[in-house]
Amino acid sequence: MKRRLFGSVVAAVVLLPFVPLALWAFSHRWYFPQLLPEQWGLRAWSYVFGTAGPQITEALVQSVLVATATAILSVAGGVPAGRALGLYHFRGKDLLSIVLMLPILVPALCVAMGLHLWLLRLGIAATFGGVVLIHLTACLPYAVFVMWGVFSNYNLEFEDQARSLGASSVKVVFRVMIPLTFPGIVVAALFSFLLSWSQYLSTLIIGGGKVITLPILLFALMGSGDRPVAAAVSIVFVIPALAALALSARYLGSRRMMGVW
Amino acid sequence: MFNRRCLRGFWVFASFILLSTAWPPLARALTWPEIEARAKGQTVDWFMWGGFPSTNAYVNGYAAPRVKELYGITLRQVPVKDIAEVVGKLLAEKQAGKGAGGEVDLMWINGENFRTAKRHGLLFGPFADLLPNQKLVNWGKPSVQNDFGEPVEGLESPWGSAQVVMIYDSKRTSAPPRTVGALLDWARKNPGRFTYPAPPDFTGSVFVRHVFYHAAGEVAVWQGPLDEKRFAAAAGATYKLLKDLAPFLWRQGRAYPENPIRLSQLLADGEVDFAISYHPAEASKMILDGLYPETVRTFVFEEGTIANTHFVAIPFNAADTEGAMVVANFLISPEAQLKKADASVWGDFPAVDIDRLEPAWQARFADLPRGAATLPNDVLQQRQLPEPPSEILIRLERGWDEHVLKGR
Repeated sequence: MKRRLFGSVVAAVVLLPFVPLALWAFSHRWYFPQLLPEQWGLRAWSYVFGTAGPQITEALVQSVLVATATAILSVAGGVPAGRALGLYHFRGKDLLSIVLMLPILVPALCVAMGLHLWLLRLGIAATFGGVVLIHLTACLPYAVFVMWGVFSNYNLEFEDQARSLGASSVKVVFRVMIPLTFPGIVVAALFSFLLSWSQYLSTLIIGGGKVITLPILLFALMGSGDRPVAAAVSIVFVIPALAALALSARYLGSRRMMGVW
Repeated sequence: MFNRRCLRGFWVFASFILLSTAWPPLARALTWPEIEARAKGQTVDWFMWGGFPSTNAYVNGYAAPRVKELYGITLRQVPVKDIAEVVGKLLAEKQAGKGAGGEVDLMWINGENFRTAKRHGLLFGPFADLLPNQKLVNWGKPSVQNDFGEPVEGLESPWGSAQVVMIYDSKRTSAPPRTVGALLDWARKNPGRFTYPAPPDFTGSVFVRHVFYHAAGEVAVWQGPLDEKRFAAAAGATYKLLKDLAPFLWRQGRAYPENPIRLSQLLADGEVDFAISYHPAEASKMILDGLYPETVRTFVFEEGTIANTHFVAIPFNAADTEGAMVVANFLISPEAQLKKADASVWGDFPAVDIDRLEPAWQARFADLPRGAATLPNDVLQQRQLPEPPSEILIRLERGWDEHVLKGR
């Protein structure tokens, strides 16, 4: 009972900000001090699905691809790094953790501007790969820290047991380590996905307009003062993020996440 | 002997290479049909402020399919928050030595960024005089010849024209003040009901220039060489007027709206009674979109309001210059200008001179439905003031910051 009440309070707090967003998206005339729109309309949606439809669809696909690639690469880097940091003690570990944290501490603008020149020289600015790389600078540290927490509670004896029963190293990784840390992997992937999903400035600078993600369109429209259109695009923006959250929700409270929270 | 000949051959070869690469306005040698032929199949990435749904709809819903159909060009709009971001990017590319194959093919640029781009050599061209439709543009007009006092010199092609209008709700304000002086008096009598965007926002900055013209009592004299003494007196009077006005503004002048969009939201929400716009038809469009009540109207000051032209330009390292030129030419075609002027599409005023069009096109422009809040053409045209040179603009913006904003 108590749990259900808590759950609904959390749900209300999460969902409440979306109420005005939904109202704006379906309004046609709404002036202060009216509590509800004077007139409802679908102008914003006809913009989203009509005139801007192809552009928004293209950006949506681009956003999903970039965020998915970033999430996969962050996990691929985060799992081994987190394992090393969580299980072993070595010299310079504190220093290393600060270095790992740097991309989060240094303002994203500086990171993107500084790396832009390098990516230009390497010839990968304004490419899909370049954008994924710049997103990784923001996402990888989070994946490393999540996996670090997971591995600091990880019992190596399970692996020893498997090995003593004759399992190969590959088998140990896929049958023991990954299943045991799976909730952590899902959370690390989710963090990376969401962070990449909401990147604006770095995508703009590195993507150079060749890689147009949803936030690029959204930020441009936010300044327009056209609240219905901005609200409708925001809803399109937030639904995939909520879907990613919902898909991974059952792992968020998992017991195996103990080291992280 | 052999060596020397070889060396000479090398020099001939080297100078040939140098000439062919160090001659970027190769387009000069091309005729327009050749340019059109090269443009076919190119993808033109057009970077522009993406904040106007009506502009976006015009570009993506009309211009893009039309240039595909007519010229086989793929027009791709790249919306940005501020074109200054793009100028910054070009500057970085120039420093990194990226002289070709750039992502930006065309940009919708404003006077101040044009000035920056021109002075740093970030622009391709001159190309404007190559465009066949340029004959429809009246280049004799000072507002076309100069973009905020910076000579255009063929580095930009015009796209539309603008004139400042004041916006009000006739239901709330039945008799709006008709001169700058009367508006300032009105603001003092109605504390908290008037404000203007803070310069260097374009619209806020142009409002300050109107006050400057009012304080100076003359307009034409500023077009010539700058008379320091005269300027100091007029600028001083401007700052004093605005500083004394500040306590009567919205939020006692402690905060200013950041741009005309915020200001128009304040008008729509009933917090202030006037908005300012560079676009004479914007209020009508906003009524159609439900963003303004139907009783909203516009007016221009009896002494006139500042008018200017907005342009598109091509960056120095654009990959698809031919495509960009064909698009720029299409944008000033009678067809594209008519569509743009249609209030149900965008309602932006034409950059071409209507009198230079064929009679059939002139009639179509005359038949366009005018929005409820848009003033008739003759009223607007009789009351146009020129922009002062950008030197004055920049000094006024700095002076406002120093004397009005910080000098409180």
